[in-house]
Amino acid sequence: MNPLNRLDLYRQMVRIRQYESRILKEYHADKKPAWDIGAGLIPGEMHLSAGQEPSAVGVCAQLKKGDAITAPHRPHHFALAHGVDMNAMTAEIYGRNTGLCHGKGGHMHLFDPENHFSCSGIIAQGYPVACGQALAFKRKGTDQVAVAVAGEGAANQGAFHESLNLASLWKLPVIFVIEDNDWAISVPRSHSTANASNADRAAGYGMPGVRIENNDVEAISEAAGAAIDRARAGEGPSLIEIHTLRLWGHFEGDAQAYRGADLDTVNERDPIPLYAAALTELGELSEDGIASIAAEAIAEVDAAITFATSSPSPTADDALLHVFA
Amino acid sequence: MVVPDVGIVGIVANPSSARDIRRLVANGAQVTTNAKINMVKRVLVGLGSVGVSRALSMTDLGGISATLADLANRPASKAWPTLDFVDQILTQSAADTTIAVQAMVAAGVGAIVVLGGDGTNGVVADACGDVPIASISTGTNNVFPRSAEPTVVGIAAGLVATGALEADEVACRTKSLTVRSGERRHRALVDVAITAHDSVASGAVWDSSMVREVFLCFAEPHRIGLSSIGAHVRTVRREDPFGLYLRLGRPAVATVRVPLGPGLMADVDLAEVAELPTGTTMRVATPFGVVAIDGERVFRFGSHDTVTVTLLADGPRAIDVEGAMERASARGLLTRITEPPSRRMQISNQSTTTQSGGHP
Repeated sequence: MNPLNRLDLYRQMVRIRQYESRILKEYHADKKPAWDIGAGLIPGEMHLSAGQEPSAVGVCAQLKKGDAITAPHRPHHFALAHGVDMNAMTAEIYGRNTGLCHGKGGHMHLFDPENHFSCSGIIAQGYPVACGQALAFKRKGTDQVAVAVAGEGAANQGAFHESLNLASLWKLPVIFVIEDNDWAISVPRSHSTANASNADRAAGYGMPGVRIENNDVEAISEAAGAAIDRARAGEGPSLIEIHTLRLWGHFEGDAQAYRGADLDTVNERDPIPLYAAALTELGELSEDGIASIAAEAIAEVDAAITFATSSPSPTADDALLHVFA
Repeated sequence: MVVPDVGIVGIVANPSSARDIRRLVANGAQVTTNAKINMVKRVLVGLGSVGVSRALSMTDLGGISATLADLANRPASKAWPTLDFVDQILTQSAADTTIAVQAMVAAGVGAIVVLGGDGTNGVVADACGDVPIASISTGTNNVFPRSAEPTVVGIAAGLVATGALEADEVACRTKSLTVRSGERRHRALVDVAITAHDSVASGAVWDSSMVREVFLCFAEPHRIGLSSIGAHVRTVRREDPFGLYLRLGRPAVATVRVPLGPGLMADVDLAEVAELPTGTTMRVATPFGVVAIDGERVFRFGSHDTVTVTLLADGPRAIDVEGAMERASARGLLTRITEPPSRRMQISNQSTTTQSGGHP
């Protein structure tokens, strides 16, 4: 298990938040005055991960180069925490030629073979893919692991159950991460799921299941480290359910009328100011430190937006390139 | 045999127990929500069988109270007491337990059945006052709750709540450790550990090399967890008027091999072992680290903080289920002799007695 580096955890969370905040701003900037999801430089749906940074940062702090992640439709936090290049990722979101997939994927389809990162807009689709990656690692005899990420709503998909079964049967080096942000689009767990915790479902498939409350990056990192150590040692899969927080809408433009009183306290539960306060109390972070970390993040994100917006868009001639393997 | 049809019993079932990192770093059992619901149902049957008229359950968002409420008017519940739920605002934290227990005490419960681990029992202990508790283990390290079948725990708690058994004869006052640091105050029913961690993180303590000092209410050699470290140099019973203080490290006066967690053995060096008489307050010697309450890391402290630990005989009154059931048997509380008087002597001389099936 990697030792805890609190400042690195904080820095990475701030970097991701700055990224999501800037994408939020740019996404909405040219969709006015009448909301049109197809308009602007970033057309289409946009699912941002603000509030869920502890999950990605805590898990990825325990991974190493060569480990794989399959992320869901809300992927930016895991992509950035796993080392996907911010410029190429941003260019992909903007649909530019310099993007990870030459602009053909968009924000829900970020594929980075070098970092073994992929994501998909199809719910729970990353779970079987992670099993395949883990099977490859196992057959090659490496100590690499695959991390499959999905939301709590995805755990009602068949692919979730099939993957847990197969991974347990074959003792695959895979860590199933469920990000429970309380809302599957607009559906609360109590309306959709017979189990109060997916840790219980892990028990049904013969693997350890833990649930981490409080969106606490240090607790997440420690549990992920233990699960990853097990997987690397050939002891098979684990499931970690992280109770996290969706700070914003399911997608941008979501008025969230269904959230009721949950929205009233959402900002109080924002994990980044809470972690900054905790580190300040511990004497590990000062006001100057907070400001300089924020400035670094702003500069990096500014550069990525500039890179993307100044990159060429694909032309009609590119339509059939990079489409078939 | 007369069991009055009275009595209210509280039920606390922690929906979050047995889900922490010890499923990964040790072989901690997974106790699913469904298993907990099943145990509560068995408790309710036990309560109903001895004439408890009403059970008052904690409300939770973990699916336990919702399932019980759904069953409460169906055939499955015919052997239960009337089941009510505490009307409470839920926070999905330990405060839910505290509020529920306060409401139960206010409602006049005669006993509270607790499903959880040492942590859950500690929270209940802080709010239950003189109401006796009967604990069922659904946690990970399970030192405070003694093991017993939930149906039988329900019977024992029911006999206490209805007055068929006196609380004073079957529920002895336990000890507790109070930790104070500035405004902080925490209560442990088994152990307080001072560790060298620099983070609370996932909470659990499973690495003995991180532990510097341990304070124990009791130390039984057949248990697991931090208390087993003390138990193998000095057994301390729950009713003894003292606890133990241990300082770990070298030079060692003893090295003990103990089960620190489920399926997790450790060789632990002890530099100092001392009795801790009830009423003693000790200042923590370690200059900085993390304080763990009943095996869970709770807060970090530094060299500018003064952390003290006090052992008092002010813990909850814990129902000894085994002792309670022996008394119930000796007094025939669940026995109805149906044979004519002339055969009674014969029955009592036989090894197998004829019983009615437990209807009071």
